[in-house]
Amino acid sequence: MNRLFDSILPWGKALCWAVLVALLALGVAQAAGDDALSRISPVGMVQVEGEPPIEMPVAVEEEVVEPMVAPRPTRADYPNIGVSSRAIVWVLAQLHLFFAALVLAVPLFVLTIELLGVFTGDERYDSMAHEFMKISLTGFSITAIFGGSLALALFLLYPDFMAYMTHVFGAQLMVYAGLFFLESFFLYTYYYGWNAFRYGNLKWVHLTLGLLLNAAGMTIMVVSNSWATFMMAPSGVNEVGAVIGNIWEVMKGPLWNPINLHRFIANIAFGGAVVGAYAAFKFLSTNDPEKRAHYDWMGYTSNFIAILAFLPLPFAGYWLMAEIYAYSQQMGITAMGGILAWLFIVQAVLIGTILLAGNFYLWAGMSRTDGSERYKGLIKFIAFVLVVCFLIWVTPHTLILSASEIALLGGSHHHILGPLGIMPAKNVAVNLMLVVTFLSFQLYRRSDKVATVSWAPMGNALMVAIYVVAIANIIFLGVYYGYFTNTVYKVGSSVAQVASTLVVIVAGIVIDTLMFKNAKTLPSHWGRIPDRSQYALFALPIAFTWLMGLMGYVRSSVKTHWHVYTVMKDNSPDNFIPTIGYAGNMITIVTVLFLLCVLFMFWVANLSGTRQSKPIAVVEGGVA
Amino acid sequence: MGNRMQEQKSSITTTLLAAVISFVFVLALFYGLDHLVMSMQGLPLNADLSPAG
Repeated sequence: MNRLFDSILPWGKALCWAVLVALLALGVAQAAGDDALSRISPVGMVQVEGEPPIEMPVAVEEEVVEPMVAPRPTRADYPNIGVSSRAIVWVLAQLHLFFAALVLAVPLFVLTIELLGVFTGDERYDSMAHEFMKISLTGFSITAIFGGSLALALFLLYPDFMAYMTHVFGAQLMVYAGLFFLESFFLYTYYYGWNAFRYGNLKWVHLTLGLLLNAAGMTIMVVSNSWATFMMAPSGVNEVGAVIGNIWEVMKGPLWNPINLHRFIANIAFGGAVVGAYAAFKFLSTNDPEKRAHYDWMGYTSNFIAILAFLPLPFAGYWLMAEIYAYSQQMGITAMGGILAWLFIVQAVLIGTILLAGNFYLWAGMSRTDGSERYKGLIKFIAFVLVVCFLIWVTPHTLILSASEIALLGGSHHHILGPLGIMPAKNVAVNLMLVVTFLSFQLYRRSDKVATVSWAPMGNALMVAIYVVAIANIIFLGVYYGYFTNTVYKVGSSVAQVASTLVVIVAGIVIDTLMFKNAKTLPSHWGRIPDRSQYALFALPIAFTWLMGLMGYVRSSVKTHWHVYTVMKDNSPDNFIPTIGYAGNMITIVTVLFLLCVLFMFWVANLSGTRQSKPIAVVEGGVA
Repeated sequence: MGNRMQEQKSSITTTLLAAVISFVFVLALFYGLDHLVMSMQGLPLNADLSPAG
């Protein structure tokens, strides 16, 4: 064995040396090779004399696409057509929005009324729902006309801004266009299929069409809302406007859902008010008792929808303003503490008009039943609360005064009325107005019923206690936290006030539903209502339209001199907040134009039911 | 006559009792509501409803 090792060992040593030397040589060669490569590169591309030079391969680098930032247009980039571009867009956008609100809202409550007809088996609901659709049908075309005109005006007058918006929203715009096709399909099948799908299982097909129509309409609304909220509070883009998120991140900005909710509720209230005016117009223009009864009922239903939707609207508006403040305090102050603050006083006047008109209509409607005598004594107290709260709401905080007027007043604020100009007083006033409006509504609903349940006295006592304690609580929260604690508690107490008002509304609906189940019903005489009550139904849509125009202007103006807030500046000649007088005139012009279009819409709806009698041919000497 | 008066008296008592019970119940409800809504916003209140924060 040892001999074997002895004989192998020299060979092994020699092999080890050989491997070592080979590795060393390989390493040296590698090192030398690297060096040579770097010196004679490219390897194998040797130019032969007399041959054309070899093209060196160029390293292909991946192209880095810079994201498009928001344009910075100069004054010269805005086409000048001789009249204010903003005024043109203002009128078209507002008219489009008015009609869009109407045609999105009407199918919502039409579907509800139709469903009510199915559950109650009362065909009158079905006929009324059909008539509501008939009124709004022309509105769909008018909405599309104004929408198309608005798009053209925007592309023509604000090309850079529209280029940026189409870049940011991209394919979503095609989805929006597709939704129009869907909505049109469901609209026409829903309306023209009304009588074809009237009974049995086909009725459910019809209801499904209505549901899909509303789904398409609602999606259109929330998609277009995202454009408006992107302009106010951009998301999904960086500080220079370059898109850094996907379309969902661009859409779901901080103001998107508050606007969605606010517009959804406001549209229903607005739609109810407009069709109510149609019912009033038809009621006043006929002497046929049957028709008067029908249109009285239609007017009542419209008012019911408008007021019921209107009650939670201030809370949705409050949420929107709170989110605006949370997003940008400067923006919030521009709206409620700066030049636009005065428009909130005008808003108070308009909301006061709506509530007074709505209440007046309910009180006048009580005359339809003899049972209303039980509650008429309360009307004067409700009216008193409404008027006092209305006056508190319209009291301004800061007056525009001359030096002599300030001296006469003893300061810039009146010593008694001054405290009524700030939010705590207005919060008390708004909540109390809503509570007593609900009381009017509840009394109206009760006036043709007599409760038969054994616990009715307890139910009434509970309801009275809820009203008394809720009113006391609203006043306490407003006065104590509003004037005697710090700002945080002042703001927080307004939420508790809203909760108190909602408790009244919810408790009222629950108690009345249970208490008047199987109640004795007193006869209602539809059509037995004073003519003057119908003018309240005219006042409602006028005030609603004006209010929407006014607050829409405020919402848009808080961006001040930005197309897209903090991202894309507005350098057009109209990049400033106009005077209150100018804005007031613009809003009034748009309101009047809308009302004229609505009259046209009513006329067209009326025309479809008119049939010309066949002319009798007259010949010489007598009738042929 | 006596029975009728007795009935009326009993009815008034029942109504008054219903009113008092309802009032106390609703008062407690709104007191709790104020505490709940304010504390949910991180604004605690003392038992006398003054700010505790």
